[in-house]
Amino acid sequence: MLSNLAHRALERDGLGAIRDRVLAGERLTEDEALALYEAKDLAALGALANHVREARHGDLTFYNRNVHLNPTNVCVASCKFCSFARPDDKHASEGYTMSLDQAVEHVVSKRALGITEVHIVSGLHPDLPWDYYLETIRRIRQAWPELHIKGYTAVELHFFAEKFGKTYEQVLRELIGAGLTTIPGGGAEIFASRVRRKICDDKATADQWLEVHRTAHRLGLKSNATMLYGHIESLAERVDHMARLRALQDETGGFQVFIPLAFHPEHNMIGKAFPKPTGYDGLRTYAVSRLFLDNFDHIKAYWISLGERLAQSSLSFGVDDVDGTVLEERIYHMAGATTPQALSEAQLHRMIRFAGRVPAERDSLYHLLRVHAQPAPPDAAPVPATA
Amino acid sequence: MKLRAAAVSFLNARPLTAGLEGSERIELVLAEPSACAAMLERGEVDLALLPVAALAGKPWEVVPGLAIGADGAVQTVVLAGDEPPETWEEVFLDTASRTSQVLAQLVLSGRGARPRYTRLPASEGLARATGPRGALVIGDRAFDVRKKVVLDLGREWTQLTRLPMVFALWAARPGALCPEDVAELARAAQAGLGMRTELAQAFAREHGGEAERYRRYLTQRIRYGLGPYEIAGLEAFLARAAEAGLLPATALRFADDVVHTRRIRRQVSLDAALQKGADGERLDADEAELLDEKAPLLELGLAADMRRRALHPEGVVTYIVSRNVNYTNVCTTACSFCAFYRPRGHGDAYVLDRSQMARKIEETISLGGIELLLQGGLHPDLAVEWYEDLFRWVKSNYPSINLHALSPEEIWHIARTSQISLEETIDRLVASGLDSIPGGGAEVLDDEVRRRIAPLKCSTDEWIAVMRAAHLKGLKSTATLMFGVGEEARHRVNHFLRLRELQDETRGFTAFICWTFQPEHTRLAPSDNSAHAYLRTNALARLVLDNVPNFQASWVTMGGGVAQASLHMGCNDFGSVMIEENVVSAAGTTFQMDSLEVERHIRDAGFTPARRNMRYQLVGQAA
Repeated sequence: MLSNLAHRALERDGLGAIRDRVLAGERLTEDEALALYEAKDLAALGALANHVREARHGDLTFYNRNVHLNPTNVCVASCKFCSFARPDDKHASEGYTMSLDQAVEHVVSKRALGITEVHIVSGLHPDLPWDYYLETIRRIRQAWPELHIKGYTAVELHFFAEKFGKTYEQVLRELIGAGLTTIPGGGAEIFASRVRRKICDDKATADQWLEVHRTAHRLGLKSNATMLYGHIESLAERVDHMARLRALQDETGGFQVFIPLAFHPEHNMIGKAFPKPTGYDGLRTYAVSRLFLDNFDHIKAYWISLGERLAQSSLSFGVDDVDGTVLEERIYHMAGATTPQALSEAQLHRMIRFAGRVPAERDSLYHLLRVHAQPAPPDAAPVPATA
Repeated sequence: MKLRAAAVSFLNARPLTAGLEGSERIELVLAEPSACAAMLERGEVDLALLPVAALAGKPWEVVPGLAIGADGAVQTVVLAGDEPPETWEEVFLDTASRTSQVLAQLVLSGRGARPRYTRLPASEGLARATGPRGALVIGDRAFDVRKKVVLDLGREWTQLTRLPMVFALWAARPGALCPEDVAELARAAQAGLGMRTELAQAFAREHGGEAERYRRYLTQRIRYGLGPYEIAGLEAFLARAAEAGLLPATALRFADDVVHTRRIRRQVSLDAALQKGADGERLDADEAELLDEKAPLLELGLAADMRRRALHPEGVVTYIVSRNVNYTNVCTTACSFCAFYRPRGHGDAYVLDRSQMARKIEETISLGGIELLLQGGLHPDLAVEWYEDLFRWVKSNYPSINLHALSPEEIWHIARTSQISLEETIDRLVASGLDSIPGGGAEVLDDEVRRRIAPLKCSTDEWIAVMRAAHLKGLKSTATLMFGVGEEARHRVNHFLRLRELQDETRGFTAFICWTFQPEHTRLAPSDNSAHAYLRTNALARLVLDNVPNFQASWVTMGGGVAQASLHMGCNDFGSVMIEENVVSAAGTTFQMDSLEVERHIRDAGFTPARRNMRYQLVGQAA
């Protein structure tokens, strides 16, 4: 329900034609996405994105309960935006690698917390054997059969294929056999080769990233997609990034959600030259992506990076999914994020409800587990998840 | 005994009905569309999911909030033919749906077409829709119509009326439903809307076709809400159909009278109030309260942005470099929301001496600061002479510094401690160097709230009295609101109206700034103090305070990103680069920015940064 005020503002800004196409359910071109980016009218852009968001999801706002597992931060890649990776774990360089027992215990010890998903992302370790990765999955699967295991970004999967002389399909089939259920969206950064050459020259290329996801989708796995914005890329390169995702989604339909990630500048190689993107940039990125990615069901805000206040605001700018009660996030916190490392479910509900939305717990495949239509009594005990 | 509800098994009905499986209140009976209406008529069911044409001339009560509709293209109700519709001489109407028949006739007459209408089953009609003939096609077969001309009647209706089309809704026999039944239907819909992917897959298994296409239809074409906007569309449909003689005249009745009453108030005045606010017309208390309670964030934001554009069309966002100096933390009011104060004699209690003060001022000047924001607790031993000495010392040693000092609360306190009148207190402070007054301590200017959260503080009238006296003596001040302390909409509105009234009288407020209560280390539990509430309240204030020229964004409490959003929702000023701030940070919030960072935020949000003084005159160079 686009209001009179929104119509007035969009026409004033010369966005009437784009509005008409959005309302008619037509697909926006890259030029139109760029025009929305450059319009500098946040309220009108938000109103249009919110229209699309509410048409798809009403007030439902999704979250899940997950635990992050980062088995090692040792990484052979030299991405200039990363504050997490360490070159090795042999010396006193803050590098670490969990043993299999530690990795499994890290996850299984969260059993009482109502977790429904583990999110596994690692460095590209030069020495770990293929069995380590398989066994991590297999042993978590054995210990906790109903847990969704979302693991290994396309960059890691590409690394495995090269290092262990396997095709993407072989890598994925073996991991699926061990119990993998979905693939996280990380490592996409910005697809444009100009940007990748400068910030992450020695890991999977855009085509390789996309091919890993294409293969995963063909094998029946769902996956997510990210975009790291706010460093050296241009707005046109952001739109190009989204356009490539949209094209693959047309082909496979395997992406569940698009997650824009703000670059965090502390303790990495390009931070000094590029300050953290502002919240304004985040809000318009959510809105543009909601309007441009017409074949993506969900747009997710990662509150770990944004902070609770901006994450809440994003719910009026196209976002319908907030990364949930994350336990023990390390990657952003090593890049200077000052947000708490976990939000309780009650805090998350409060944030969503105060934005006029309805909290809805989902699983990794976006099945609805529970709609919290009414506020729980303040002292209610957490309810165990069913999935 | 359970209620009985009749519904069709069409794809687009399933998100409303699927969640009723296993319901303890409502039993679902699946039936053909025409049977649904007949069963309701005969009393065999208590409610039914009815096409809207079946409401016409009946006493049924509509369930609020839920419907099957479209805002634009719907895909499953189309007119098809080979020639432009204006040239059609005959149109075949699918016999299955009366609502679609009426809609087709309204749309064609809106286009100036006057064909003859013939009722025929769709398969036959479509086959004969050649030359000057068209056909109405509904349901799944409409997805695949291959004709030169295909008019989507959802889109046509929206283009004709600028309103959404409502196709079907829950209707009940009069008095059959209690509020819990309405809540159960709403719960079922929430659950069903969350399973649209699965419902599409199930439908594809039953009927063939692509699950993905069905899913897109359910999530992108069909809208399931029945809010003020959809009700306007529904009423327009019934009114136009009655006027054209296609349906008997019908007045909508709702199953829940309270909702119905509220709807009328909302429908009439929410949009009107927003438009009034956006156009700079004065809002009254009822309108302001309605907006506070009901208006969505972006609506308030769009309206406030229109005001900001009218008042500050140049696209400049100002800020000031100042230092917040809290000369003492000793305070006698013990407000429940404060984490800064200490009682006299406490180990952490302090009063700044001249050397500490000098160091702070010199740092300020070296960092480009031009203002000292001097505030403190209500120290029981400090009388007017102490302040006079301090101000004279500041002004004689640092003549360039603007003294923006002492909230109304402190001025009252000085008058009482010194046993002199308010007038005399202000005169003596101005004579010794006071330049302007900060608007702090206003909290919520409603005594119901003040008595609860700060019983020892001055009353609303006293706060206003200080500001009036100061303004009449030529001092300028800011005005503030701290909310999220358990107050209600009417209290916030009272606050705005008291400020507006005084501003009409004195024109002494240069700016308004609001922030939310920061609860850490305090004794008061917050109500909604979220960023969303901040942006809404700030935008509402921009609409109601039509006579206050400037609005400051509160990045200190909200962070730079939310403050940037507020620049697009009413604010034209980024407050101050504060070299020091103690009170809010004592309650846990520690956002910090220097001039460069403030300017980066302003530029990135699409504005030109400029430095100002307390009177909002531009000064010097930007950083």
